[in-house]
Amino acid sequence: MTVPDLAERLAEAAATAREHVDHTDRAAAFPVAALDALRRTGLLGLLVPTADGGLGGTVRELVTAAETLGRTDMSVGMIFAMHCQQAEALVRHAGERLRKELLPRIAAGELYLASVTTEAGKGGHLLTAEAQLADEGGDLVIERFAPIVTGGTHADGFLITMRSPGEDATAGEVSLVYAHRDQLALTPSGDWQPMGMRASHSVALRLSGRVPGHQVVGEQGGFHRIASEVFGPLAHLGWSAVWLGTAAGALSRVLRLLRSPAGRERFDLGSDLLLCRLSRSRQRLDTVHALLQQALRTLESGADLSVPARQLQLNALKITAAEECHAAVDDLVTALGLRHGYLQDSPTGLERALRDLRSAALNYSNDRLHLADGRLALRDQGVTFA
Amino acid sequence: MDPRFTALLRPFLKHAGPGEPALTPDTDLRKLGVDSMQAIELLFTIEDTFGISLPDEELNDTTFATAGSLWRVIAAQLPGEVTA
Repeated sequence: MTVPDLAERLAEAAATAREHVDHTDRAAAFPVAALDALRRTGLLGLLVPTADGGLGGTVRELVTAAETLGRTDMSVGMIFAMHCQQAEALVRHAGERLRKELLPRIAAGELYLASVTTEAGKGGHLLTAEAQLADEGGDLVIERFAPIVTGGTHADGFLITMRSPGEDATAGEVSLVYAHRDQLALTPSGDWQPMGMRASHSVALRLSGRVPGHQVVGEQGGFHRIASEVFGPLAHLGWSAVWLGTAAGALSRVLRLLRSPAGRERFDLGSDLLLCRLSRSRQRLDTVHALLQQALRTLESGADLSVPARQLQLNALKITAAEECHAAVDDLVTALGLRHGYLQDSPTGLERALRDLRSAALNYSNDRLHLADGRLALRDQGVTFA
Repeated sequence: MDPRFTALLRPFLKHAGPGEPALTPDTDLRKLGVDSMQAIELLFTIEDTFGISLPDEELNDTTFATAGSLWRVIAAQLPGEVTA
């Protein structure tokens, strides 16, 4: 299925993002105008089926959208990609009643979803939870602190991981529960002054509230399935697409500068060193692009993603995209030097792209993925490839 | 399920309380503490205990979901074993 006018919708959202990116980056402010553009273009409902009023887009179209937005503003791209992961979790795992309540509103641009999966003391472990849901006469009571919630102060709804209710529930029994903003008391804390990704406004948040029982997404204790089928694959594909877009946008602006009359005057385009550096940067992006396309085909095949070779491929995509997209922009800084490589007001925007991309290896840490991959590698003695 | 199997499985079930009933084929391994990090240690113990090698293509989440699903994959590698 093809989303009608996807390119036009993306062009409108990207144009709005471009207009505000200098301000939101400098002020570390959430990109409200770009989010409004994502609402009015229907893009927040990209993955919502047409029967529920959405655009009926596929993961392939999510990748296209994430890359396009990433070219202009990595924060906006990541906010969008993460929202789409949440929306897909609802599309595929919410019960009929919750789907009917939420999907048409997401499609109408009324519901921007934030994810609450971080928790102090568990070091980013997605599949464990300390804070526990309490079941009070069929209602679920939420009391939870999260050190990082991207867009937390602007979200209209939240998907929250918590330990399942019940005395004997273990840290490994994690449920995903949805809460509307007006069902929660939200207390943000701390300041947000990061190196990059400044517009993502990822604050610490305390959430307290009470929701009806049907707002559990999937089964109680069933989050591990949502994580392996939706959150994991869509995060790796969506994030990698945004990072590739950010680095591709940077390279494109550099090439336009170099080929302009002023650029040809300033830079010697016959320089072996400059040519080699451009080549190296481009080569890194082609590597990421190829891996992204292959991982997309693996996902589209519908095969079991928990098989080591497939998990390893998806993890390799995330690790490689994080490293290579950052390195590609770093190469360009070296190639262009202090004026156009390092100054904030250069039209190349390398300074912001480099700061933003530095977060990629830390956002679900590459170290943690390497640990998982080492164990997965041991489970695949024959070294098969997906 | 073979008693050697249930005995080797016990130490991996860190969330199983002292009052935990006997292991059955339906015992949920993930719930009782076998995450992807533990699965590889468990795999080594199984292979050492039974002197077998489990096929790479069986080492997915479905195999490690319950005691019964894991036992079926082990049993298939044991000479003359009847899967139960």
